[in-house]
Amino acid sequence: MLQVHRHRLPWILLWCLLTALGGLALAQAKLGQIQTAFETDARIVHRLLSQRVVQHDAVLATLALLQPDAETTETSPPEQRLPSVYPQITGVQRRNREASWLDGQLQVAETLSRALRRPALAGADLNRGHYQLVLAAEPTSFALQLDLRAVVPWSEWPMAPDTSPVRVTLTHEGQSFVVQPGLLQGGGWLFEFHKHLATESQPFDVMAARQVGWGELPWGWMLGWAVLAAALLLAGRLLLRQRTERQRAEELLRLGQVARLNTLGELAAGMAHELNQPLTAVLANTQAASRMLNDEPPELSSARGAMLQAVEQARRASDVVGRLRRAVERPDSAAHMQPVELEDAVRNALYLLEPEFKRHHFVSQLDASTGPTIVLAEPVALEQIIHNLLMNAQQALEQVPASERRLTVTVSTQGKLGVISIADSGPGIAVDVLPRIFEPFFTTREAGLGLGLSLCETLASGLGGSLTAEHNAPRGAVFRLSLPLVVSP
Amino acid sequence: MSSSLSPLIHLIDDDDAVRSSLALLISTVGLRVQAWADPQAFMNGFDRQSVGAIVLDVRMPGISGLSVLGTLKEQGVDQPVIMLTGHGTVEMCRRAFKAGAAEFLEKPVDDEALLEALQTAVRQHVKSRGRNQADRQAQARFAQLSAREREVLGLITDGLTNKEIGRALDLSPRTVESHRANLFAKLEADSLAQLIRHYAALVDADS
Repeated sequence: MLQVHRHRLPWILLWCLLTALGGLALAQAKLGQIQTAFETDARIVHRLLSQRVVQHDAVLATLALLQPDAETTETSPPEQRLPSVYPQITGVQRRNREASWLDGQLQVAETLSRALRRPALAGADLNRGHYQLVLAAEPTSFALQLDLRAVVPWSEWPMAPDTSPVRVTLTHEGQSFVVQPGLLQGGGWLFEFHKHLATESQPFDVMAARQVGWGELPWGWMLGWAVLAAALLLAGRLLLRQRTERQRAEELLRLGQVARLNTLGELAAGMAHELNQPLTAVLANTQAASRMLNDEPPELSSARGAMLQAVEQARRASDVVGRLRRAVERPDSAAHMQPVELEDAVRNALYLLEPEFKRHHFVSQLDASTGPTIVLAEPVALEQIIHNLLMNAQQALEQVPASERRLTVTVSTQGKLGVISIADSGPGIAVDVLPRIFEPFFTTREAGLGLGLSLCETLASGLGGSLTAEHNAPRGAVFRLSLPLVVSP
Repeated sequence: MSSSLSPLIHLIDDDDAVRSSLALLISTVGLRVQAWADPQAFMNGFDRQSVGAIVLDVRMPGISGLSVLGTLKEQGVDQPVIMLTGHGTVEMCRRAFKAGAAEFLEKPVDDEALLEALQTAVRQHVKSRGRNQADRQAQARFAQLSAREREVLGLITDGLTNKEIGRALDLSPRTVESHRANLFAKLEADSLAQLIRHYAALVDADS
């Protein structure tokens, strides 16, 4: 378990990192998007409100210019009709020539207005949402009474005033009027915007604020990304592991071949020494005896002694051979017999040799009959036979041009036998060679030991099957391995 | 000194049967054989003055034939060594020759091959021993020459006449003639050709 965890830990850490980075990027994108929308809305709000309050300056200027007569026959002066046109204007007052304002605040404002040559604020009560605006003029000055609630152009408002999370207020000298309550609570991120209205006469500050709570982060997308990252990493890990396993298998295969060669080399060296000693003695003794018999006169007794020595050494050589045979005799493989799916066995062998085939510029083709072909065999022996036959085919194919290299493996059934046919398009087997190819130490290759096919044949008959070789039409050779099918109960 | 009269073959192999059979075979051509089972005993005990050859098995317990060969050559043993092996590889053969083996034969070895190799080796050894002896004698004679006589000898081997030598060494031809007679006597040379053949190399080494 510990081993497994140690292997997984880097992947888990990588996943955490990827998830964190992706989540951060997603959150940042979302926040940026919210901020942009908020700033756009706030600027629209500022423009709309500015446009509205500028109208008040214009109305006052018009009144000051026209100086409508208070002493008309009509019931009321004309300016009293303004509230019906502008809903935010709740009242209009005038100071006639030689008269003075009833309200002291208006008086102060008029003086200020006269000095600044623009309308001046009077009696602003933003908390309650109303204020007055005075413009000094001659002979008559006018004052507008304004209601902030009606100043806001709701029809053009960029947000839904009841549900929007953006809070909009107008502030002036510590007082504030809430245009839109919004939703400001909890932690998270706070975006703010403030700017004076675009008129000097009504220097209110437009304040907008937007609180982004944790809940507004794109959790769904972030979760999706985490899942996607996990899936990608899992796939990557799987691919990597497959590659490693394949490399390991190839390595094992190579090692196996080397080991086999080493064992054979050792065996040959040991055999050579064990046999060469008595053979040397036999040869030397008989040749010495022959020379002594040729002497004039012949040295009969010495020659006889030498011949006796030779006989003894010949026996010694024969003992060595007997010992060797007993040492390398294979244990009965019947004990390890088990049902084996032939197609799987072939596929395994092909999979292992595929890189080797690729290196020699050809691909193998596997044709299988429908349904599984299950034989009784010893898996290791079977694998060795298939492997050797495939290697044989590859070596045959090396002798023909790359474009003509074909290797076809067929799995079929024939009566009570499962048959693997390995057909190559190599140079084929000469007629005089064909009957001898399964003999030990018989080889047509320069560096061959002549043991591969002999071993395959021995193994096949050990499994209760057979191995045959034939010509392949139109060219090449085909080897057929037949093994008894599992008898279904 | 009887040992140097007829050649002696040293045979080293740990296998009794191989050793005795090869010894028997070698003795059929009239060569004397001394057989050794243990390579170390052989190196400690064999007569280095004897004329002959050594037959050495490559594969022996304890110490390999190749390292025995190396040790022999390091110690300046001049007998030719014939290596025998049961399982010879090209690499082993190369190493044997590099280490100074005279011949490399595979077991089982045919009598013709072994005996011919032995006879060739013995002939070479006898010849090289003789040549070495002649060299030593020549050196001893050369050492008896005076400095002036060596100078004269050098100019003689360079092909100068008495007159030319006298001019070169600022001597009268008569004095040169007397040196010449002396050095011919000391070097026991009968002719100019003999003198040059035996002593030219020594003169070159001396100057």
